[in-house]
Amino acid sequence: MSAITLKDIRKSYAGGPQILHGVSMDIQHGEFIVIVGPSGCGKSTLLRLLAGLDPCEQGELLIDGKRANDLPPQDRDIGMIFQNYALYPHMTVLENIAFGLELRKVPKVERLKRARSVAETLQLTSYLDRKPGALSGGQRQRVAMGRAMARDCSTFLMDEPLSNLDNALRVAMRTEIKDLHRQLGATIIYVTHDQTEALSLADRVAVMKDGHLQQFDTPDMIYDQPVNRFVAGFLGSPAMNFVPSDCIDDWGGARDIDVGFRPEALSLNRSPVSGPSIAARVVLTEMTGATFIVHCESEAGRLSAVVARGEELPHEGDKIWLSLDPSQVLCFDAISGVRLDLPVVHHSQMPKTHVKETA
Amino acid sequence: MKPENPFVAVLALVAGLLFLSPVLYSIWMSFQTADAYYTGNIDFTFRNYEMAIGQYNFARYLVNSVIVSGLVTLIGLAVATCAAFAFARYTFAGSNLLFGAVVATLMIPSHITLIPNYLTLAKAGLLDTYAGLVLPAVSNGFAAFFLRQFIRGIPRALDEAAYMDGASPLKVLWRVIIPLSKPAILSMGLYIFISEWNNYIWPLVAIGREDLYTLQIGLARLYRVNPGEDIIDWPLVMAASTITILPVLVGFILVERHLIRGMMMGAVK
Ligand SMILES: Nc1ncnc2c1ncn2[C@@H]1O[C@H](COP(=O)(O)OP(=O)(O)OP(=O)(O)O)[C@@H](O)[C@H]1O
Ligand SMILES: [Mg+2]
Repeated sequence: MSAITLKDIRKSYAGGPQILHGVSMDIQHGEFIVIVGPSGCGKSTLLRLLAGLDPCEQGELLIDGKRANDLPPQDRDIGMIFQNYALYPHMTVLENIAFGLELRKVPKVERLKRARSVAETLQLTSYLDRKPGALSGGQRQRVAMGRAMARDCSTFLMDEPLSNLDNALRVAMRTEIKDLHRQLGATIIYVTHDQTEALSLADRVAVMKDGHLQQFDTPDMIYDQPVNRFVAGFLGSPAMNFVPSDCIDDWGGARDIDVGFRPEALSLNRSPVSGPSIAARVVLTEMTGATFIVHCESEAGRLSAVVARGEELPHEGDKIWLSLDPSQVLCFDAISGVRLDLPVVHHSQMPKTHVKETA
Repeated sequence: MKPENPFVAVLALVAGLLFLSPVLYSIWMSFQTADAYYTGNIDFTFRNYEMAIGQYNFARYLVNSVIVSGLVTLIGLAVATCAAFAFARYTFAGSNLLFGAVVATLMIPSHITLIPNYLTLAKAGLLDTYAGLVLPAVSNGFAAFFLRQFIRGIPRALDEAAYMDGASPLKVLWRVIIPLSKPAILSMGLYIFISEWNNYIWPLVAIGREDLYTLQIGLARLYRVNPGEDIIDWPLVMAASTITILPVLVGFILVERHLIRGMMMGAVK
């Protein structure tokens, strides 16, 4: 039995446009689901429906196989971390964390013990007696995490729980969440903007756009076999390059499509090469740490390529030839953006002249 | 608070004294004998207080006033807070209309409802009881309106967090909304208490038994002490007035520092 099932969920706010246009998902017990999508695409709205904070008028929501459209939030056994924290300003950090336990009639000694141990995990021990008003953004966010973590719910909803933390803490908390997930075995539905978080945490990733679910699959599948141009462009940093097939020299595959390839799939050449390639001029090189991103201008538009450190870097203004590995390109319909499962044939197997004849 | 300008400080002092002077004068007068007062002499006596409390039963009136104003304040706040929570957080069929009706009661002078209220309470047999004094005053449209506006300023996300933590609506009200509305509720409580303390017309109409008199009724009766004579015992009246205002003054000083402090900091980012 699935933990949570969404069937064609639609949502519009009174007098406003429709926000969710029929979202369907089937989430298993103990799964870690990450929802990603651009700002305003309806991620928080979806979480609120799951939490029961907003009514779900159209479509069906099942929790543990039972219809839950009209179940009030306090009866859903769901913990939530809000995007804007929503800490109780009149309670101390400890009280904030223990409040949910208190409402569930956990004896005082036990709930304080639990709250303290959660606070310790979150490195909040020295702030236990402070009110939220006297905490930094990152500290507040951790209290919000702690409040949900103190209760053991079967499902947690987390709306960008790490967005305000510094990098080191974020990486630490990411591990912490992953650990927590393993320990509790709880179902987690997690919203984020950060694709590293999305790909590293998720069992399955749901990509949303304008209230439509684009793809709901494992991180591997989302990354390697995106269903359309939007998903392909949304995940991965730097983003995937898209060029019309006509702009690629020696292109051996189908015509009149868009070809997508990740910056890692490109290699830089100082002189024209055989095989599929694009001539370009270097505009800018950017260091990101282990790699350099080379931004180039070609007749197909801006392209970016990734070069490992240590390799020889082109200078700005240099003319280069970017060759692409045919096994690493994806084909998209030029109009609808849907990914096409076309065989991309290597030029050595299909002589250039032959292509020209058939074209 | 430190005024940067000595001129402002002097001005504030003068204004303060100006407002305080009638009170100070009446307190001073309450310690004079009637003879001394009318002949322009200065004296010091507790006679007026002894008379007010002993002969004229002001101790009893004080107790009555405290009971009535206290009950009106407590019950009134409870009713207004619940109504305000409902109006601030729920929309239901006719909720706007109902809230409009609550606000509309602010525009009806209390004198208009005096006789209907009297007739209702007479039918219910509640004249000459504490209940008769308290019940008509516990529904307070202004308090409901004021508190609703305040509660609307509390982020709804806090309610939602509490629901997610497993709270029922009443728990949300009790554990989240009321603690956060404390400054507003205390201000409103003070306002209701003072209004009820000063209420004159209704106790006058609803109460005939002397042992249920409130301070205001007792005070007014001092003017009619000696119907034949046209001399009023002003020092006695002032002693009674002092007994009347002092509890309110003390109460205000106790509550005042809680009124201003806001509590919303750090709730949401
Ligand atoms: N109470 C509301 N009334 C009307 N429209 C709303 C309401 N809440 C959200 N919306 C709209 O719904 C859309 C989706 O909002 P939502 O908060 O779900 O976006 P999101 O995906 O969480 O974005 P972000 O990543 O910025 O948090 C937005 O266009 C927003 O303007
Ligand atoms: Mg959001």
